[in-house]
Amino acid sequence: MMAETRKFELAVSPHIASPESVRRIMTDVVLALLPALAAAVYFFGFRVLLLTGLSVLAAVAAEVLCLRFMRKPVNIALDGSAVVTGILLAYNMPPSAPWWLPILGSAFAIAVAKQAFGGLGCNIVNPALLGRAFLLASFPVLMTAGWRPPMVDGPSGDGTWDQSGIPTARLEASDVVTGATPLNLLRQTYDWDADAAEAEAAGDGGQAAALRDRAAVARRLLFSRDTRINLFLGRIGGCIGETSALMLLLGAAYLFFRKVLEPRLPLSYLGAVALFAWIFGGPGAFQGDPLFHLLSGGVVLGGFFMVTDMVTTPVTRKGRIIFGIGAGLITMIIRRWGGYPEGCSYSILLMNLTVPLIDRYTKPRAFGEARKHG
Amino acid sequence: MSRARSFSGGTHPPGNKELSGSREIVRIPVPETLTVSLCQHLGAPSTPVVKPGDKVAFGQVLGERNGFISLPTHSPAAGKVVGVVEAPMPHRRTGPAVVISVESAEEAPAFEPWPYWGNRTPEELTDRIRDAGVCGMGGACFPTFIKLSPPPDKRIDTLIINGAECEPYLTADYRLMLESPDDVIEGMRILAAVLRVENPCIGIEVNKPDVIGLMKKKGVRVVALRTSYPQGAEKQLVHAVCRRKVPAGGLPLDIGVVVQNAGTCVAVVQAVRDGIPSVSRVTTVTGRGVRQPGNFLCSVGTPFSRLVEAAGGYGPDVKRLVSGGPMMGIAVHTDEVPVTKGTSGVLALSSEEAVGTDEGPCIRCGRCVDSCPLSLVPNMIAKASEYGKWEAARKLGALNCMACGTCGYVCPAGRHLVHYIKRAQDEIRAMARAGKGA
Ligand code: SF4
Ligand code: SF4
Repeated sequence: MMAETRKFELAVSPHIASPESVRRIMTDVVLALLPALAAAVYFFGFRVLLLTGLSVLAAVAAEVLCLRFMRKPVNIALDGSAVVTGILLAYNMPPSAPWWLPILGSAFAIAVAKQAFGGLGCNIVNPALLGRAFLLASFPVLMTAGWRPPMVDGPSGDGTWDQSGIPTARLEASDVVTGATPLNLLRQTYDWDADAAEAEAAGDGGQAAALRDRAAVARRLLFSRDTRINLFLGRIGGCIGETSALMLLLGAAYLFFRKVLEPRLPLSYLGAVALFAWIFGGPGAFQGDPLFHLLSGGVVLGGFFMVTDMVTTPVTRKGRIIFGIGAGLITMIIRRWGGYPEGCSYSILLMNLTVPLIDRYTKPRAFGEARKHG
Repeated sequence: MSRARSFSGGTHPPGNKELSGSREIVRIPVPETLTVSLCQHLGAPSTPVVKPGDKVAFGQVLGERNGFISLPTHSPAAGKVVGVVEAPMPHRRTGPAVVISVESAEEAPAFEPWPYWGNRTPEELTDRIRDAGVCGMGGACFPTFIKLSPPPDKRIDTLIINGAECEPYLTADYRLMLESPDDVIEGMRILAAVLRVENPCIGIEVNKPDVIGLMKKKGVRVVALRTSYPQGAEKQLVHAVCRRKVPAGGLPLDIGVVVQNAGTCVAVVQAVRDGIPSVSRVTTVTGRGVRQPGNFLCSVGTPFSRLVEAAGGYGPDVKRLVSGGPMMGIAVHTDEVPVTKGTSGVLALSSEEAVGTDEGPCIRCGRCVDSCPLSLVPNMIAKASEYGKWEAARKLGALNCMACGTCGYVCPAGRHLVHYIKRAQDEIRAMARAGKGA
């Protein structure tokens, strides 16, 4: 007989667990974001690697420092969530941003938007997006003027392509002045419309007609098939991570098959953007171009990588759908009537704030619980 | 074949049933000393009626029923009472037990066998099942006779035999259904006779096609269930089989359904037909921490160490010993605890199998919410519990939770959700009692 009885570890049930872990999820998200980075390097050059790298380093460093300062175990910083924040922040920057901009933004994102709220899981808004909003408010010029045209020519030997994804030759043929990004150009067309109305009121019919004409030409170019293809592939000016819808979709598909991506959020968001784009995104009601709005700006990046941020979105199924639709609606409202050409990130930030409320009112009815009346 | 039925939510842990599934049930010899718990069932422990020095016969009553929700306890062997003590137990730290020094392992009917039980009244049958100490063998240990005595205003029209055995690793019910199908079926017929139910059925997960085939061949109505955890939980089983929802806070009884476990059917048939009280059970001893996982018939009171021995002893790597299945079972710190009527399995989990105890913050991924078979919000209840907000936890439905462990299984942050929720349940119940007292 054994002299000593053997002692076993005590633990709470369940005693087995799915192989999922926070680190595994974050690693998957990082992997899913990499194709878009490759596209950015291809279109904008190696500088974007530097910016993204600095952003990630700054995010992780900020996380470590904050945890140190709060005397929490520092190994939490290695769960990968700071890496994701760093990448996303860099992805929301123009490719020509100065090198210190992502560092500042990441540090802010981690320290203020995440750790000040209690760290992973406790933050209310998406840290990367708040970091971006902070930079946009503090350095509006640097955040909106650093666009560069893609370095790659069109496939058909059609000559160079404008930052808006429109062949330059066609731009020259019209008298449309180029926009920095497709959405900037679209915003200008709305401005021209407004100017035209003013000119008309002032009795300058000729000027009004010219402006209207220009807006119409620009829209026709923007909503053309070529532009769509360029938007899809990423041959356009824009933020680092926003360029290539194709690469982002590739990453999203990976996440979906790894079961990291909850389809309700992206689908309701993208669906809402498409619907509202069609309803009021065009010159008149029900004349909008859903595909253009889906593919331009940050919608694909946001829809698959920021609307889906687990921490800052609802935990209930119904809530996720409401969140997606709300964010889609706000995105389109900002694009059409707001002060910025792009509304994706602000729409998500705004919806982040509503999450506690959404969660509360979409709590599922417990199994067998009677439907409440009134 | 029609599509396998199921419920919404749940998860799919690896079954690991192949470890022990092909092993025939082996009888473990009655050890020299048995530690028979007086609290093997849900409800009040039985009151000991023997004292040290007493001679007891096989099947003799060691403890009497104490209150309505209670059961008597019988001696699994003939021998001498050595002590009535507090002993370490698998389901709680310690509990009252009668220690018996075994003299003969001979089994003999303790009641008059009723091979032709067909002419007995439902009341007689129910009393026999009660007096034989039969409780749910699936792990919950609820006294079976209570489920058989519904209040007069409740009409029972459905009897479901639970052959799902949805807990990973466990194969005891599987082997029982495969090796003693006639006992399971006869037990089911007795229960049906007591409840005056016409057409009882047995719910079996499709991962046991041989049992499904066997039962069908024997003319039993089988409902094939999708392999999904927790398919065998009463409410999920009832919903899958008859599309009726047990009301929150209610029992299957409330919607005219009674569920009994396949193992319980065998205990019932032994009590009624053979006159043998509930003093033994089939248990799966498995996990990668034992050398030869298998299924064993053992007397109540046999120490876990004997079971492990029968399973070839411990392997080099045993991290955790669990009484029951991996999802709902309880970790024990020693193998010197005895088998009780509810011991459906003994798991020796290796460090690779047993989940670590590290816990990270909730990342609000919502997986627990999506997978809770009772549509609760485990993350929110756990958070409320963590901060001691018992009232908030109650409002979120903490009391509905059946501790199935699905939420904890899927949580990527490794949160001890079940632990927090159980804690809240304890506090809420204590509050309710205090409220009534005041
Ligand atoms: S909350 Fe309770 S019932 Fe729901 S999954 Fe968790 S343990 Fe199971
Ligand atoms: S599964 Fe875990 S991490 Fe996800 S919401 Fe539930 S408690 Fe939080």
